[in-house]
Amino acid sequence: MPGRIVLAMQGVTKAYPNGRVALRGVDLTIPDGDFVFLVGPSGAGKSTIIKLLIRDELPTKGLVLLDGRDLGRLNRRDVPKVRRKIGIVFQDFKLLPNMTVRDNVGFALEVTGARRREIDVAVDRVLRVVGLTGQADQLPSQLSGGEQQRTAIARALVHNPRLFIADEPTGNLDPMISWEIIQLLLRINELGVTVLMATHNAEVVTAVRKRVVALENGRIVRDESDAAYHRED
Amino acid sequence: MFAFIGFSLRRAWQGFWRNGLMSLAATATMVLMLVMLSGLVILLTGLDATLDYVQQEVQVVAYLKDSATQQDIDGLKASLQRMPQVTQVTSVTKEQAYKDFVARHPDEADVINSLPTNPLPASLQINLRDPNDYLDVATYLKSQPGVDRVLNIKQTVDQMVTVIGILRAGGAVILGVVGLIVLFIIVNTIRLAVVARSDEIEIMRLVGASDAFIRWPFIFEGAIVGLLGAAITIGLLLAGQGPITSFLSDYFKVLPVQASATVGQNIVLIVLGTGVGIGVLGSYLSVRSYLIR
Repeated sequence: MPGRIVLAMQGVTKAYPNGRVALRGVDLTIPDGDFVFLVGPSGAGKSTIIKLLIRDELPTKGLVLLDGRDLGRLNRRDVPKVRRKIGIVFQDFKLLPNMTVRDNVGFALEVTGARRREIDVAVDRVLRVVGLTGQADQLPSQLSGGEQQRTAIARALVHNPRLFIADEPTGNLDPMISWEIIQLLLRINELGVTVLMATHNAEVVTAVRKRVVALENGRIVRDESDAAYHRED
Repeated sequence: MFAFIGFSLRRAWQGFWRNGLMSLAATATMVLMLVMLSGLVILLTGLDATLDYVQQEVQVVAYLKDSATQQDIDGLKASLQRMPQVTQVTSVTKEQAYKDFVARHPDEADVINSLPTNPLPASLQINLRDPNDYLDVATYLKSQPGVDRVLNIKQTVDQMVTVIGILRAGGAVILGVVGLIVLFIIVNTIRLAVVARSDEIEIMRLVGASDAFIRWPFIFEGAIVGLLGAAITIGLLLAGQGPITSFLSDYFKVLPVQASATVGQNIVLIVLGTGVGIGVLGSYLSVRSYLIR
């Protein structure tokens, strides 16, 4: 459904109980199929936006709509269902060390109560997308950093999310491998998945020329298409 | 539903074996605590049996007048046996009392033999269901014409009732306190095992697992720990039953009861129930703190 809005944040303010205000009146709309870099210095509010999207936090003011649903007014029992619309990867991969690649990826479907047969089909498909078919039966400890991150990406994709969030996905990887991961994310985006990537990696952002949303002190200070990491005047 | 139960059981089983060290620690704690708890239960059961026995040994002794005929005595005996407070009435004749005296004091047999007649009265020994009923029975006896006097053991009975009451209450309090400590320690050990796997819980939350999918594997795992701990405990108790019984009966030789450490059905049920119950409760509480956000 091209043109549909996957994410809409309207006037979102987030103040933590300790008094720190992480976001101030943020408006952000991400249409279906978009690829968005979320940039800005540490403490600018990138992590808070991600926490709001996975409903780990609730906005103090304003609306966060994911696929049309108001995350601020969600029943506790509906939270898992909304989280299944999101796939997320982190800097530290968060793989289960005692499970094989295949099981780590399948885990995301298993915990939703999917059938074994469906799981196997979906896992094979997504392992092909990230290029890990050959490593399916290895443990995370036997993989390189890049392969571990690709496993995490496969796990985040296996349930066909509406929005794919990458929180500093290249933070622990060397430049060469970082590029492979970015290429993979671009490919996933070409397959039709909406991608939101929070990063410090200026080189990558500038080279890829996608939409850039820059945060500073909890405000969006720039939102440009085909943009670089830093403002180009 | 089927997929859910299968998933939970499989995850519980994997979780137990893949986190071997934590599972071992939790199970060992469980065994230690259950052994302590069941030892206490066995000890208190023994105490209870002993106290019951002591209580049943409380006897009201009524000395009869020499003028009382056999018919009087039989009538009195029958009426006593009809009283609900009374469990048993034993009749001791003058001749029997004499024989008992001689048997008990062989050195003083000369004294009693020197007397022209047998001075020892016939008596009735009445066993009571509850020592607290002593006064009722004693009062009744005193009003009977054939009764000469009733041996006054009121003070002794009162003291004994008080001591037994204190012992019973003390036993219950100790059991309660130890039970709470056991609960606390096991729940905390299981909490450690769950905290060690907070990553796993976080990942499950992130990929959209419902609370039930997160909770139940841990609950089943707690049940496995409880079941295994209980099984080991019961094994230990069965193995130790013989030596402990002989030790106890040596130790409590003075008491006329068999102080045995028999592992009865009750103990097995208590150990199993406590083990599984606390395992499940511990897991439930530990995971809960991760789910409420």
